[in-house]
Amino acid sequence: MPGLPRTTPGRSADQPCSDVASALWVFAVCHAGAFAELPSGAGHPEGGPVTLLRLDDLLSAVVQDVPSSRFSEEVLKQRLADPGELESCARTHHRTVTAAAEHGPVVPLPLATLFNGEARARAALCARLPHFHAALTRVRGREEWAVKVSLRQTGTASAPSAPQDAPGGQAGAGRAYLTRVRGRERERVARHEQAVAAAARVHRAASALAVESVQRRPHSPQITGKDRLQLMNAAYLVDRGRALDLATVLQRAGADAASADVEVEVSGPWVPYSFTEPVEAPDDSPERAGSRT
Amino acid sequence: MSAAGSGVVAWSGPEAGAPIGVPLVDLLDRVLGTGVVISGDLVIAIAEVPLIRLSLHALLASVSERVPAPWSDGGPL
Repeated sequence: MPGLPRTTPGRSADQPCSDVASALWVFAVCHAGAFAELPSGAGHPEGGPVTLLRLDDLLSAVVQDVPSSRFSEEVLKQRLADPGELESCARTHHRTVTAAAEHGPVVPLPLATLFNGEARARAALCARLPHFHAALTRVRGREEWAVKVSLRQTGTASAPSAPQDAPGGQAGAGRAYLTRVRGRERERVARHEQAVAAAARVHRAASALAVESVQRRPHSPQITGKDRLQLMNAAYLVDRGRALDLATVLQRAGADAASADVEVEVSGPWVPYSFTEPVEAPDDSPERAGSRT
Repeated sequence: MSAAGSGVVAWSGPEAGAPIGVPLVDLLDRVLGTGVVISGDLVIAIAEVPLIRLSLHALLASVSERVPAPWSDGGPL
């Protein structure tokens, strides 16, 4: 029951999977014994307490029994197709991962990682044990900060309207039109280059304080709005003690960039979602990084 | 949020930020788009959920829209 403290410290490694009417939602992997049970506010409201499932001597998974009636593949697909349900599921997942991270480093798993019972979960997770060990070491004592850089678009970015009464016969009007178009295009390109340079300065400033960084794919204008073009959507892995330094540096960089209509948005600290994937070969270039979905 | 406004906003934890403080787009970006993908029996094929597919398309600029990377030092990592 949620709210009632369990006397057993998490789940034992040989606890059988008994309840066929439930599924196991896995939030994250953390150190064994990091906690016994999260407070009742954690986890999905329909499920049981959030506990640990022992994987090996050192690692456990942060898990919750959830009823199949709400979390079967079919039902969950329908639920996640609803914007409200998707948001609430995502926030629950995030809240729980973040709560677990208060007890030590965690490796978050993607939303809706569900298994038919503990045995199946343990088998799947144990196949990746070396990776989880490495990932926990990588993020220990560190947190993720998100930095987005956007260029505010102005009216000059839109193409000038074509001359209404010059259907091609009036060469003078056509040339004037083209000149205007080229002028605006030059201006647009210059603004863009200036903004990209500002984003690069922000990136360099943040990188100097970060242990690692990842370039995620920028958000599209559908999200940012037509009046803003996102140039950079980066995540930085930062030692916990350097967060204030990072904030100071980014504030300065943001103030410098503001004159060029460039906006710097910072959020954090995040649980290090962006730094738990296996470190790839050197071909993990910015072109590829962040494009994995 | 903006540099021109109040400057850096530090979101200081789940209690402070969970309801409105965490921009949903950044959250979805992270909980859907990152992490160790574990293959399991009941792992939802999340990209097949229509809304999520739509969200991911909306979230992320398409390759053709992408702007040149703003760094010149060979990039991160």
